[in-house]
Amino acid sequence: MSARVLLCDDDIVILKAARFKLASAGLDVECASDGQSGWEVIQRWRPDLLITDCQMPRLNGLELIKRVRSCPEYANLTIFMLTGKDLELSHDELIHLWKVREVLGKPFSPRELLSKVIQALQATGALEPSALPVDALPLVANPAVSSIP
Amino acid sequence: MINSRYANMMQAHWAWTVVLVGLAGLWLAGVGVQQPSFAVRAGVLLSAIGVAGGLVVLERRAVRRRETEICRHLEALCELEYSSVAVENSDIHDTLPPDSPFHGPLARLRSILTSQASRLADSEQARASLEARCRRAVSDQQRLADIVARIPEPIVAVDQYDDLVLANRSAEELLAFEESRQTAGRALAKLDRCQRLIALLGDTRKRKLHAPRSEDLEIEDAKGRRRWFNVTLTSLRPEHGTNACEGVVAVMRDISRQRQMQKQHAEFVTSASHEMKAPLAGIKAYVELLADAKDEVTREEFLEVINGQTDRLQRLIDNLLNVARIEAGVVKVNKQPRALNDVLVEAMHVVQPLAEAKQIALHSDLSPLYLGVLVDRDMILQAAINLLSNAVKYTPPGGSVRLHSHLAGDDVQFDVEDTGVGLSPEDTVRIFSKFYRVEKDKSMAPGTGLGLPLAKYIVEDMHGGRVSVASQLEKGSTFTVSLPQAVHVGRDHEVVR
Repeated sequence: MSARVLLCDDDIVILKAARFKLASAGLDVECASDGQSGWEVIQRWRPDLLITDCQMPRLNGLELIKRVRSCPEYANLTIFMLTGKDLELSHDELIHLWKVREVLGKPFSPRELLSKVIQALQATGALEPSALPVDALPLVANPAVSSIP
Repeated sequence: MINSRYANMMQAHWAWTVVLVGLAGLWLAGVGVQQPSFAVRAGVLLSAIGVAGGLVVLERRAVRRRETEICRHLEALCELEYSSVAVENSDIHDTLPPDSPFHGPLARLRSILTSQASRLADSEQARASLEARCRRAVSDQQRLADIVARIPEPIVAVDQYDDLVLANRSAEELLAFEESRQTAGRALAKLDRCQRLIALLGDTRKRKLHAPRSEDLEIEDAKGRRRWFNVTLTSLRPEHGTNACEGVVAVMRDISRQRQMQKQHAEFVTSASHEMKAPLAGIKAYVELLADAKDEVTREEFLEVINGQTDRLQRLIDNLLNVARIEAGVVKVNKQPRALNDVLVEAMHVVQPLAEAKQIALHSDLSPLYLGVLVDRDMILQAAINLLSNAVKYTPPGGSVRLHSHLAGDDVQFDVEDTGVGLSPEDTVRIFSKFYRVEKDKSMAPGTGLGLPLAKYIVEDMHGGRVSVASQLEKGSTFTVSLPQAVHVGRDHEVVR
């Protein structure tokens, strides 16, 4: 069974780009367009990794993270924050208080995102080291080498 | 006066007595001619006494007359007020005998009175002039106090003992002095509404700074509002000389609005940057995906997304540029006769992908009639896109947005109706203010708070039309745009505003 990644962003273009990249690497990806529907997917689908934007309607990214962390059953859920507000957020608070593994700024590189996702999933045991896709690690600049299997 | 009458009466009695004694002496002398004896001698004696008495009485009357005359002159002198009168009355000596001892004292008296009268006249003049100056000073001071009182900037001044010596009306209101109109002499320490102001006043006085200093302070006014003031403090020092400080005056300028503008501006820059970052993030991500993509179909798909994101960025930049042009006061308007429906269809095409992405049904219900308008196509297109994308942004997924155009009397109208979050009555007015965004809906979508104000400006200021909004919270909003119908087709109009 492949590792499950939930993408939570209100920008459809970003969702599609990230989903394409992650799904191409063989990951199981679901998308949610706001925090509230993201929370519903978490409860229903139990992802291994949550990648969330910060500013979203209904329930924003920070509120979603707080909600996740307040439930012991999701204590091990790995969380990435992918946001255009990376400079305005307190990284220390996100990383140390809310146990966010990565804070990535927008614009972002899908390759870098995939690489960090694979690293995190392998570190938490959600993904076997053998399942490492060709273009996941290390980060490469040449697209010819980083072809999707 | 009574004494004088009594003295005259007594003198008259004496005169009659002397005359009677004289007559009695003459009668006795006549009798004595017939009988020369003691009677003759007595008659002669009495006659002599009578004559002597008469002479004495006459002399006393002459002296009395002179005394009366002197009194009259003295009284005249007493009434002297001005030297001119004194000079005019210089004939006193003529009425006195040349050898009268009164000449000397009277002359001195006259000289003294004359000089006193002259001094009195001088001091009277000086007093009148002083009174006039005093009145002028009082009126100047009153005017100055009125001016200071009416200055909208709060002003407070303290003396060298840190006692308040002046606080104008604005300062009294701001620092809650209303309960005591008498501010003079109040110790500075009692001005407890703003401890920082007290510290600044005291510090400026102690440091005897020559140049004014200024600082921004936040003060809570009597109504509990937090307001920002720029306080300029100047030492009051004597015009000439020492380094002494006689006090400090503080002039406070309300900069709350400036602060608010700065905050709004900073928020605007932040939100505009975020708005630009979103399509940029899409472009960057898809460029990378494009580089990795193998098959032609995927590449085509990615290129289309990149193209769409570039358009999104272009629209945002157009909005920003147009706002900047409006701010600068130079907006080029190129009005041409157009069919409103054509512009609206184009706007629909632009917004369609946004609506699809949010699963919002975008319906168009355009009039079958030709709705001719004389407009700047790009500007009206931008206004329509702004209204439509605003409707899509603030309508939750699954909702709908309807665009309807029709003829309304002499105007042509189009309505953008959504099933979105709606607006409170206060927000229906405020949403057209630059940078204003409804707080509770901010998280629904990114935005700069420029789309609706720009649409309103384009429609109303550039085209003489009107934008209105009818809304109900949680039900949705309808934005209506009215434009004057183009009655004839003329040549291109170009207006520089």
